[in-house]
Order: sequence, then C-alpha cells, then structure tokens
Amino acid sequence: MPGSGARRRPAPGAALAGLMLGLVLILLPAGLLARPVAAATTVRVLMPSPFVDSTAPLVASFNREHQDLRIEVARGPLDTEAMSDLAIGGLLLGDTAYDMLLMDVSWTAKYVAAGWLVPLEGLLGDDALEAMVPGARTGNAFGGHLWRMPLTGDTGLLYWRTDLMAEPPRTTTELEAVSRRLQAEGKVRWGYVWQGRQYEGLSCVMLEMIHAFGGQWWQTGSGRAGGQTELDSPGAIAAADWLVHLVRSGVSPAAVADFAENESLQLFAAGDAAFLRIWPYAWREIERGGGPVVGKVGVSTVVSAPGFRSGGTLGTWGLSLLAGSPHPEAAAEVIRWFTGPETQKALVLDQGYAPTWASLYEDPELKRKHPLLAVQRQALEQGPEVRPLTPLYAQLSDLLQRQINGLITAEGSAADAMAMAQSQSAVLLESAAGQDSA
Amino acid sequence: MKGFPMNTSLVNTLLMLPALLLLAIVFAWPLLDSAWLSTQASSVLTGLAPTANGGANWQRLLGDARFWQDAAGTLRFAVVSVGLELVLGLAMALVLHRPGRGRGWLRALALLPWALPSTVLALGWRWIYNDPYGPLNSLLKLFGAPAYGFLTTPATTWLFTVLADVWKTTPFVALLLLAGLQSIPAELEESLVLEGASPSQILRRLTLPLLRPWISLALMFRLAQALGVFELVQVLTRGGPAGSTESLALYAYLNAMRFLDFGYSATLVVATFLLLLLLTAMGWLLLRRRPLEISR
Amino acid sequence: MRSLLLLWSLAPLAWQLYTSFVTPEALIQGAGMAAGSFWTLENYRQVWLADPPIWRYLLNSAVVGAATTALTLALAVPCAYGLQRQGGRLRWAVTLTLLATAIFPTVLLFLALLQLARSLGLANNLLALSLPYAALCLPLAVLLLRAAFADLPPELEDAARLEGLNLARRLQHVLLPLLAPSLASTAILVFLFSWNEYPIALTWISRPELQTLPPAIARIAGSSLFTVPYGAFAAATVLGSLPLLLIVLIFQRSIVSGLTQGAIKG
Repeated sequence: MPGSGARRRPAPGAALAGLMLGLVLILLPAGLLARPVAAATTVRVLMPSPFVDSTAPLVASFNREHQDLRIEVARGPLDTEAMSDLAIGGLLLGDTAYDMLLMDVSWTAKYVAAGWLVPLEGLLGDDALEAMVPGARTGNAFGGHLWRMPLTGDTGLLYWRTDLMAEPPRTTTELEAVSRRLQAEGKVRWGYVWQGRQYEGLSCVMLEMIHAFGGQWWQTGSGRAGGQTELDSPGAIAAADWLVHLVRSGVSPAAVADFAENESLQLFAAGDAAFLRIWPYAWREIERGGGPVVGKVGVSTVVSAPGFRSGGTLGTWGLSLLAGSPHPEAAAEVIRWFTGPETQKALVLDQGYAPTWASLYEDPELKRKHPLLAVQRQALEQGPEVRPLTPLYAQLSDLLQRQINGLITAEGSAADAMAMAQSQSAVLLESAAGQDSA
Repeated sequence: MKGFPMNTSLVNTLLMLPALLLLAIVFAWPLLDSAWLSTQASSVLTGLAPTANGGANWQRLLGDARFWQDAAGTLRFAVVSVGLELVLGLAMALVLHRPGRGRGWLRALALLPWALPSTVLALGWRWIYNDPYGPLNSLLKLFGAPAYGFLTTPATTWLFTVLADVWKTTPFVALLLLAGLQSIPAELEESLVLEGASPSQILRRLTLPLLRPWISLALMFRLAQALGVFELVQVLTRGGPAGSTESLALYAYLNAMRFLDFGYSATLVVATFLLLLLLTAMGWLLLRRRPLEISR
Repeated sequence: MRSLLLLWSLAPLAWQLYTSFVTPEALIQGAGMAAGSFWTLENYRQVWLADPPIWRYLLNSAVVGAATTALTLALAVPCAYGLQRQGGRLRWAVTLTLLATAIFPTVLLFLALLQLARSLGLANNLLALSLPYAALCLPLAVLLLRAAFADLPPELEDAARLEGLNLARRLQHVLLPLLAPSLASTAILVFLFSWNEYPIALTWISRPELQTLPPAIARIAGSSLFTVPYGAFAAATVLGSLPLLLIVLIFQRSIVSGLTQGAIKG
C-alpha cells in the first residue's frame, strides 16, 4: 500500500515525506486529478448511456468498498446502433482503452468471429450460467466457449391496458378483434403500436412474429455462416402479411414505419393505443412518466397465431471481456460482480430491468415490488426467440429490415417482400461460402 | 519567369514537395489501397485478415441490386439537388450582387447554412420535420391541415432530404457565382441598358454566357460532393425508409463499420470513385470549356 | 427579395434557437402556456453539465482546428510560392492535381485512412487528426494563396533579392506581410472545414471524451429512452454553431472576398 514505506522507517525526513505524500494522496482524488494515484487496478467499461446512469450508484459503492480494484465507466451514446459504431470504431483502430464492453446479444457472434473477445469460462468457470433462467442463458455460449455474461434478461413483451379489457389477448386474431372493437367504440385512437422503423428493433418484431406463425428465420447448419435462412416459408410470409395488414387496416398507425422504442412508448403512454410491443424496462418508464395510463398497464407474453406459440425476441445486454485487456482476472471479477445477483437485484428494484438469475425470480421482495417478474419468467422459460447466431447477422438483419419497412411504407405483397429477403440472404450466404473456400 | 537562376525549378519542386507528399499519402495511397482491398476477402469470415479472392467482390457488386439501387439513388439525388442549387444559387447571387446598404452583413448571413456543420444541421432538420410536433407540422396545424409525415414514406423522405441539402449548399454555389458576377465589367451591362434591354434579356444575353465558366466550376464541384453525400443521410434518415435514401457512401460505411466486410466496402468505394470519374469526364466533355483558366 | 433570402437562410436556424430556450412541454403544447413554464435555460445546463460536457467537444474541435490551420498554412505557403514561380508541365500537372483533389469527396477515403490510423497508431489523437485534415484543405489553400502570390508585383521580390535577402527572409519580411489578408481568409476557410468535418473524425476518434463536435452531436447521449431530447439537441446545436457564427460575422469580408477572389484568380 502507498504510504506504508514511510511508516516503516520513522526518520524525521521520511515522516515529512510521508506526511506530504499523505497530503497529496488526500488532495489528488479531491479534484486535482480525476484518477486516484493508489496502485489500484482500474477496469474500464464502455456502456450505452442509459446503463451508465442506471448503474452509477452501484459502481460508486463498488469503488468505495474496494481499495485495490476500481471500475471506470465510459459513456457511450444512447442509441444502440450508434453505440455499436462507436465500439467497433475503437476495436478497428486497435484502441485498447476498454477492458470490457456491454453488448447487445445480437453482436456477440460477429465480435467472436472478428477475434475481439476473450473466452470467459477459464475465468468464471464452466458453470457460470448454470443458475440462470434457461432463456437468459441462450446466445452467450457457443463454439465451446462462454463469450458473454448477461446483465439483463430482456424479451419482447406485450403491454396492454387493464382499464380497457379484463384479459390480455392470446392470439393475433384476438388482438386484432379487441383493437378494432376499442377503436370503433372510440376508446383509443390506435389498436397496436410496435417498432417498424428500418433498424434492429424491426428485426426483433419480425423474429417473434415469424415464430408466432410457425416459421423460423434461421436453420442452423454447417459452414462459416452457420446455417440457412427460411424467410420464404409460409410462416414467415404470414408474419409479414399480418404486420402489413395491421398498418393497412388502421389497427396500427402508418407512423409505426418510423417508430423506434421511444416513439411507440410515447404514444402508448399518452393513452393513444390499446397495445404496445416493447421490452421489460418500459413498465418502469411508464410508471415514472406519470401520464394518463399509470396504474392501468398490464404485461403479458407476445401474441401468436392460433395453434402456435412464440416467445418474445431475446434482447439481453451483457458484459464481454475484450482481447487486449491488460488484467483479465480483475476484469473477470468486475464481470462477476456486475452481472451477479446482488447488482441485478438492485437494478430490478431501481430500474425495473429483467434479471437473469433464477433465484431473483423467487425473491419475495422483488415479487412483491415488481409484478412484471412472473410474466418475465414465463417468457424466459417459454424459450425466447434468439436472432440468427451467425457472424453475418448484421447483414441478414439489415436486408430483412429494408424489405419489411419497404412493405409497410409502400405497396407490394408480403410474399414478394419475403421472397426478395430470402433470395438476398441466400446470395449473401453463398458469397460467404465462397470466402470460406478461398 | 525570366531572371531566375537555373536551379529555380529544383527549388520550386522542393518547396512543393512536402504538400504534394501529404496529398499523396492522404489521397493517392487510400485509393490504391482500396483498389487492392477490393480484390481481397476481408471480413468477419476471414477473421478480418485479407485473403485474395480474385474478382469475387466485383462479381458480387455487379449482381448486387442494392448497389445499383443506391447508385441510381445517389445519382438522382446529386442531379436534382445540384440542379436546384444552381438555379437558387444564381438567384441568391443576383440578390447579393445588387448594391445596397448592409450588403456585407447580408452576404455573411446568407452564407451561414454553408458554414455550419452538416451533422448539426441534419439533426436540426430532423426536428423541423418531426411528426407531429415539429414547426412545419405546427404551421400545417395553424391552417387546419392534418399532421404530415415528412420522413415516413420513401418518396417524401427523399424529397425533404434533397431540400435539406439544397438549403445547406446553395450559399456556396451563390458565392462562386457572385465571384463570376463581380468579374463582369459594369460597363457592359450599362451599355445593354442604354440599348433598352430588359433585365431578363440582360440575364440571358450577357450574364449567363459570361457566368458559364463559374457555373461549370460550381457544377463540377457540387456534383462531386453530392455523389459522396454521407453525413446528411446518416444523421437525417440513416438511409431509410426502406433504404430509399441510402447513398453509396453510406452503404460503403455500413459494410465496413457494421458488417465488418472490408473487401466489399473497398469495392464500393472504388466503384463510387469510378462512377465519379466517369461523370466528371462526361461533364468535362459536355461543357467543353475548361472550368478554370488553368495556366495563366 | 432580401428579406425572402434572409427568411430562407435563417428561419431553420432561428427555430433551433427557439427550441433551445423552451421547455419540452412548451414545445409540444405550443403557445398558451404561462411564461414561467415556457422559457428555460435547462437545455443549456443539461448539455453543459453532461458527461462528457459539450465544452469538451468545443475545445477538441478548437484544438484540431488550430493545429490544422497552422499545418495547412505551413505547407501551403511554400507550395503556393513554388507553384507560382514554376512554369511548364510541372505547373500544369500540379494545378490539375490540386483541382482534382479539391473536388474529391473525402468520404471515399475513410476506409483506407482508418487502416492508416491503425497501422501508424494515430487513432484517438487530436493532433494526428490534423494530418488528414491538412491534406484535405491543402488543394484549396494552395490555389487561393497562389492567386495571391500572382498579384504581387515581381519587382518587389527582385528588389529584396538584390538587397541580399534569402528566400526565407524574403517571404518573412516582404511577401507574407503583403499576403496577410489572403492568409487570413485561407486560415478561416481551413478552420471552418476542420470544425465541420465528419467522416474522418467519426472513424479516427473512438473515445467519447476526445470526439470533435460533429460526431459528438450526431451521437449525442441522453439517458431517457422515453423522450427524444430535442431541447438538448437544439442547445448543443446553438453552442456548436456559435463560434462559427462569430467567425462568419466578424470575418465576413475576408471569407467572401477570399472565396470570390480565389475563384476569379484560380
């Protein structure tokens, strides 16, 4: 420890030096320099802006309690895509400013293939995910390694108005019928709002709808890309058809074509829609917003076509260790703390985040204070839908978004759009196979 | 240049060398490097390491509907917005050229949109176009019209992206044309006025013909810049809806920074460059006259 | 006509100014609210105290701008002098190169420059960022300064040479003082360019606290997913534009004459 050397030899000069050193040590953190001079290991984490704010008190108390290990959080942008660009920019530049990164589940395969991540099983143990709810484990370990520890267990959920109906709809047909009835009675302007902008959120909506109509986006197979798409299957076409039908028949506003999470949430929270498809955090946001629907919102799993069952899309955020981190052991300790049950419990209570540990879903305090947990557990156990686990996911998602967004903003049939998405995906995967053999 | 010692040429070359060297590093090397990278597979599937794959990237480009759609879209964007900019820029230059009090301030204020950062302005336009709370929709509401989704359908989004670009770059065109107007001797105009020519006749018979070199210069410059349009679409529309406003530069950017496919990104960069070269050459031939007197 | 021109140029900017000073509720409800809950400085407080604060981006942009301007002038002055004194094919070739690079859309360079930054370790360094910036500004700067050199009567330099002044001294004591107005307008244009540049700043700088203004504003952070912080966007826009507004208003004469003279003499 700094300062102890001066104590061992109590000569006057050394004592003076020690005193001055002590003074400096007190003054420095007090504002002269931002960084403490103590020989503590500093672990740097890059996170999207909302997570920086939500975890700030927890990180501060961690830093108070630990003398030799400090967490330094860098604030990324709010928007997920801007966050991805910033993180990738740093990694491409070979800039090792960060030890770890809070990542969206859909980035993992790409980062692994790029060689940017360090396997975690050696540091955290082979059973690191064991005590988590099954659904929350998916998308973190593949190819024989653990790449990421999830901090949240988000899935797509259906928000509904308890003042307008007694029970949430279970099927797409019911949802549509209830919406139309409420719209006809003048109770709400719109029936169902969701995310239809050309961005990743639209792929999340599409994925759960494809499963809700009995199809699937991705069939795991061989090769570097790891499988094949099935976007022209009857189920996938029916899913696209239903979404565009919602817009064209006025159940959903045409403006969903430019809606991301915040726009759709804004409309629902203002009391203008009967149903909203969004993530778990929105419940707390609505409660905090103090708008007209506070206390009138119920949460359920997403709807499916009669005879099928879809889990919501898995949309978790988790911590990964970046290659080039100078102190992986210290970083692993921070990951263990950050994703551990205590931190997650605090985040459930403060922020309404969905936890990943099974024990937290049994916690009586949480159950009492956060009624969402029962539904959330059901969604996670029902088997949430995972976006295609391939390094080429970003391209696949991008071309699907373009087709679906084009479908809801213009003319055209769902069958044509999905056939186009399928053939474009096939071309992409084929060219990847070409790279494979090269 | 008489009267200089024999080694002047060497001295001149040495004086120019540092600047030319930097230009070579920042312009020539990247183009050569991109040309080389376009013959390589370098993506997540190769662990980001370049591996020669012959013409596979170029083959993919030829069959890539999205590339052709973006190329056509970028071209259409460039032609329409530069055309509008020339017309509006000429009008603006004529206004700025007229003598009067406070002309200096007027020029400075008219120049502002050009001087401010594109990203900042694009963000501003996103708010101006906001449905339903933006100022344009507030105006519509004032007249009792329903809210309008400026950025919700491909056709309107494209139109309003062009408008934002025209607003931002017209002052630059106006400034170049103003330089041209200033070079026209006032006596010529006066003699036409004495002959009884109307303002529109003066414009047609005197101003426009004499402005031609400046119009060509503005045209070349703006066309090249518009073909590389990037920040405006990245911030204002992100290429949406349905990819309708995606520019070639944005597609290349996405391939590198989001899809991690550098080989294909480089192919797109080189293809855009070739397209630019082709158009500039065509412009050069069409206009025949050099945009600038190169050798004095 | 003049007022129409001003309306066209300034109305969108005025709207940003207005947005930056009103509360989010006022933005949505419009007029008819009490003045107390209508006007606010909260948006400015928010971006000024944000993490990283906006003054940090302003400072970064100013540093890059200053370094770029200095470097560009240091390279452009000798080059312009040499080009003006040079004749024949070399002069023609260099002028053509400068013209071609001047109209080149810089975004096409981002991919290779990214690799350059990586292999030379130039990433996340504000001063290193001025290297590509200087290169991008050089064509215009050299063309403007060459036109200015051409305006100087050759007898001046001959006289100075006869007095035994060497090239550096001739430049320092005779030529550059006469070029001061052109140097100033070139410097301002270079500074404007570097303040506004986006694609290279976006790819060369990946640490939030080192970003220059354009990428920082494009990625502006907020912590609520609930509403889009238009007020804060507008406040950031106003603060980011203010330095340029001042420059344009103070130096309007040099900017306009610099660009027009350069184009005439080009």
